[in-house]
Amino acid sequence: MRLIRNKYLQYLLVGVAFLLPVLLRGVPTATVTLAASMVYTAIAGLGINVLLGYSGQISLGHAAFMGLSAYLSAYLTKQLELPFILSVLIAVAAPLLIGLILGAIAVRLEGFYLAIATLGFGEILRQLFIEMDWFTGGFSGASATYPTIFGQTLTKNGMYTFMVCLLVVLMMLVHNLVHSSTGRAMIAMKSSRSAAMAMGVNVFQYKLISFAISSVFAGLAGVCYVHFFRHVDPTVWTAGLSLNLIALVVIGGAATVGGAVVGAVVMHGLPELMKEMPIIGEIPGLPLLIVGILMIIILIFYPRGLIFVPRGIIDSIKKRFGNAKKGEV
Amino acid sequence: MSQVLSVKNLSISFGGLRAVDDLSFSIDRHEIYGLIGPNGAGKTTVFNCITQFYKPDTGEIRFTDQKGREHLLNGMPPHKIIGLGLVRTFQNTEIIRELPIIDNVLLGAHTEFKAGVLANMFAMPWARKQERELRKKAMEALKYCGLDQIANEYAGAQPYGVLKLIELARTLMCEPSLIILDEPAGGLNDAETERLTELIRGIARDHHCAILLVEHDMKLVMGLCHRICAISFGKKLAEGTAAEIQENALVQDAYLGKEDEA
Ligand SMILES: Nc1ncnc2c1ncn2[C@@H]1O[C@H](COP(=O)(O)OP(=O)(O)OP(=O)(O)O)[C@@H](O)[C@H]1O
Ligand SMILES: [Mg+2]
Repeated sequence: MRLIRNKYLQYLLVGVAFLLPVLLRGVPTATVTLAASMVYTAIAGLGINVLLGYSGQISLGHAAFMGLSAYLSAYLTKQLELPFILSVLIAVAAPLLIGLILGAIAVRLEGFYLAIATLGFGEILRQLFIEMDWFTGGFSGASATYPTIFGQTLTKNGMYTFMVCLLVVLMMLVHNLVHSSTGRAMIAMKSSRSAAMAMGVNVFQYKLISFAISSVFAGLAGVCYVHFFRHVDPTVWTAGLSLNLIALVVIGGAATVGGAVVGAVVMHGLPELMKEMPIIGEIPGLPLLIVGILMIIILIFYPRGLIFVPRGIIDSIKKRFGNAKKGEV
Repeated sequence: MSQVLSVKNLSISFGGLRAVDDLSFSIDRHEIYGLIGPNGAGKTTVFNCITQFYKPDTGEIRFTDQKGREHLLNGMPPHKIIGLGLVRTFQNTEIIRELPIIDNVLLGAHTEFKAGVLANMFAMPWARKQERELRKKAMEALKYCGLDQIANEYAGAQPYGVLKLIELARTLMCEPSLIILDEPAGGLNDAETERLTELIRGIARDHHCAILLVEHDMKLVMGLCHRICAISFGKKLAEGTAAEIQENALVQDAYLGKEDEA
């Protein structure tokens, strides 16, 4: 119980840290925009972590789910003038439904086949975004507004604050989930299918559950995207974005609640940081190259993800000073 | 005496290989029953057929639960089996390495959990309460197997002997009426095997359940089993008490000659 409280506190602190750009005076709005990118990818990444990190399933189609929700929420709030909360519910129900259908097909596939199937599905969805221009605005995209919640129209900072709060709540929910019988069954299914089945885990059902959860999170991320940037076009929702989500989960720490957040911060933050550096930042492409090399180096030393860096450093300091305690595995 | 499991005319082939060939046997309530045979005789395959990991070509497998209801296991999905009170371990141990030992044991109570995804996500008090109760029960199972001191250590870091015990503790969570053990003493030293023998005997007694076990350690099999079935190339050679099996010429030919190397 004490541990849980502790974790909740940690997530709240993460939220407070994310809110610093709007709490402090004089922070350039570009920083808030960058931070918002971190937050919406972290939300989607959190779902991918449930799918990949905890359940051992892969999807290259979740970016398209984000897109679907983004378009839907833009359409519902702007064209149909539905209240924000209602349109969010619908916008998230759509990828949930499609995720369940895709999941029901996909659960029969493993590894590469699953990757290819979801990749194809995502691309089809993205082509639809381009074709159905009465709904999506085609290539030029659709626009949206800052949402109105309880009669209050949010500002840019307000929308960002809303996203951060959502992220914190979702982290808590994922924490609860992975420390429950559901999470245990997912981890079991990933680690030993035989053991899971013999102990009564319906592998089919739990794969579907993980697909459903990750689809909902992708949908929420898409909603956040469209109401923060107030514009959505089909170039964003590519398999490349799906791959990025997987990459940030692995880099941050698969099968950890905070992993997706750390991954999102590093993947958006590091290139920006590099661009600010003298000389390196002035040569086009070099910052990204350096980030790539840095990530490989970090993953060699911390294959389980960046989230384990602080613990790794503490452990090595302890070892140095001779009172090495046996760490967790 | 009433039966808990009956296997009738079980056969399964892999390509041209007849791994189990018209095998029949039955296990009484509270009985400790041994299945022996040389390497590759088809013992694990029999277990996989009973628990529906494999779908047998022919044969009927019937299980009678605690309430006396009979179930035809053929065609059941494997995850439904444990709910009847029939639970198994694996020859090469199937452990969730990234979970603590106690969570591995809790997995054995998976079908007991009432909370769905949402109740778990929102940590509903009644769901947490059930989790706490089952955790307590898991702790008792661990204590029974002598693992309570290391309950919160990660399973992946444990030596093989401990993994075997974790699997055993995991079977105790489902109110079993039949536990199937595939080489529980495999890889254990003499002292560990001796302790395990007592543990298995104790489980059968305290949990009022039958046990079906495959084991190459003849001392354990002969000392523990009420009845033994010897198979070779998937066919039954003999069935009987330890003394009867030891005296059987067919068994001696097919099996016991090779035993000292195992
Ligand atoms: N899934 C499978 N596909 C093909 N052949 C299999 C399969 N499972 C088992 N076999 C074969 O069936 C035969 C019986 O194997 P099984 O594992 O049941 O033997 P066993 O009696 O458990 O042996 P051991 O004492 O070595 O564990 C072997 O020849 C094995 O190769
Ligand atoms: Mg075997």
